[in-house]
Amino acid sequence: MSPDRSQAAYAASAADLALRALDALQGAGGTAMVADHVERTDDPKAALAAIRIVGADVFAPCLLAGEGLHPADAAAVAQSFAVFPPPVSTPAPPPAGAAEPWLAAWRDWGTASLLARFAGTDTGAMPVGTDADGIPAAAEGTERNGPVTAGVAGALAPRPTGAPQLAEAGSDPAETTWQTWSTRMGQLSPLALPGLESPVHAMARAAPQALARGATRAVLRRDFPTAARVARWLALLAAEGEPLPLDPAPLVEHLRLHGGGPRLALDVAIARRLLGVEDV
Amino acid sequence: MTASVTRTAHDVSAQALAWLHAHRERGGLPADATAELGDPNGVYKPLGESALAASLVLRESVAGGTELRLARELLDFCWSQFRAGDMLYERQLRFSLMTDPLETYVPFARSGLRHAALDGLLAHTSALRSVRGAEMLPNRRLAVANAARVVGLDQDGRVYDWAALTRATWLAATPEPWLIDWMTGYCVTHTVFHLTDWGARPTGLPEELADYVSTWLPVWIDIWAEIEQWDLVAELMIVGCCLPEPHCAAADWDRLAAAQHPDGLVPRDGDPVADDPDQRFADHQHTAVVAAVAGTLAVSRTLGGTGQRL
Repeated sequence: MSPDRSQAAYAASAADLALRALDALQGAGGTAMVADHVERTDDPKAALAAIRIVGADVFAPCLLAGEGLHPADAAAVAQSFAVFPPPVSTPAPPPAGAAEPWLAAWRDWGTASLLARFAGTDTGAMPVGTDADGIPAAAEGTERNGPVTAGVAGALAPRPTGAPQLAEAGSDPAETTWQTWSTRMGQLSPLALPGLESPVHAMARAAPQALARGATRAVLRRDFPTAARVARWLALLAAEGEPLPLDPAPLVEHLRLHGGGPRLALDVAIARRLLGVEDV
Repeated sequence: MTASVTRTAHDVSAQALAWLHAHRERGGLPADATAELGDPNGVYKPLGESALAASLVLRESVAGGTELRLARELLDFCWSQFRAGDMLYERQLRFSLMTDPLETYVPFARSGLRHAALDGLLAHTSALRSVRGAEMLPNRRLAVANAARVVGLDQDGRVYDWAALTRATWLAATPEPWLIDWMTGYCVTHTVFHLTDWGARPTGLPEELADYVSTWLPVWIDIWAEIEQWDLVAELMIVGCCLPEPHCAAADWDRLAAAQHPDGLVPRDGDPVADDPDQRFADHQHTAVVAAVAGTLAVSRTLGGTGQRL
């Protein structure tokens, strides 16, 4: 298969997996949705690649809906890392290195971190306890990135260095404007989950205005998928009680009503969970 | 960076002003024009806009001697087109409820060109409840209030309820910034222009609204620059100059300078520009006005001007 065709097959499979994650998040759980995705396909390689594209969001039902991680799902995610091993050394952050491999390394880190946690290889806890709001206790506690998690995750995907950099206008127009920065943060939206902690999360917390500008820009450009990805970060900050320059709830609802596609639907559903908006 | 903004803004403004001046005769009223004006937006309104640009160049006085001379000549040309105010007077006599004679009078009155009979007539009509109650968009009410303020009909600031007028605007609702559209963008720019009297009173914009505009202005400039809506982009750049903490980004000025033609024309958008000189002037005169004002205010603010010089 040509690289283009395999990329298209991966994207199609990722859309399918995103729908399965969405169903699980909305309460149609109880099955090993990741393993089912790999088993019920005639293109297992694409299905395994899809796991890495959807990334840490395959754990969203565990984090946000109180679902346990099925052992078969844990095995499927681990198999994805075996078939598509990340680079041994993490790519250099831009501008020294290319952005895309570095962003992929961050997404892999998020996936591997949550696999280590939910598969019980770090603390033995599976699933994590959730509080009355349905938000995992880990999201509100101080154990955001324990050394054990990082260590086990590092076995599958080491944590990259650096975070998307944001600077005042004029210093380095292409690399560090709020436009580029917020787009990259959107590309890292699978990290915008409670229970993950990294320099990327610290950057998000330090720049709510740039996130809000990025989401606003994306909506006005009718780039709803990007808007939904960036809105994930706004929703996460809102869940943490951070003050924001705009109310993310109507923004997310607007995206739900105007946007389309499985990926956007999953981003919106996760954002709604983070905001405490009940599904109807 | 500030030095480069000042230089670029000056160059864009000076060239736009020179273009307006060079082609001013193309925007003259027909010899048989009367105060009735079948099409007030055709020539009458653009003349007032050219006069506005000239009056702000003169008010700020941050341009060179050449620009100040061109601005004075452009203002005098427009005033002569209005028969030294007689036409505005006749139009206000004929249409008592219309506010355009007052609004058109502003740049001339600001620059010391007065018409005594018009002053007396405006003092009478502008105080009438019938005129004050005429229905119009909220940002247009602010235009009238500011015009009255500049002309001297509201010297103590008590005739118009500025807070109530402000509350009625779209901007005052501090709306979701991701739902603005092109026409609403113009409503925002004009709300800011009139509250601040074109940057002379940055504190005329309530603090909460200044914060709101400061937060979202870079987004709006970005998205309309991307689709080459230069007229609105330049208006938003004026807004940046009207803020208590001015927003004058070098990248914005470099982009507008790149869009400007060698002869000084600033295209209103990304569509092809006509070859016919009259058509060029008719299509792009407004954007030249906006660019001249934006550049003038950017120079003034980056040099430390804070307005309040009325």
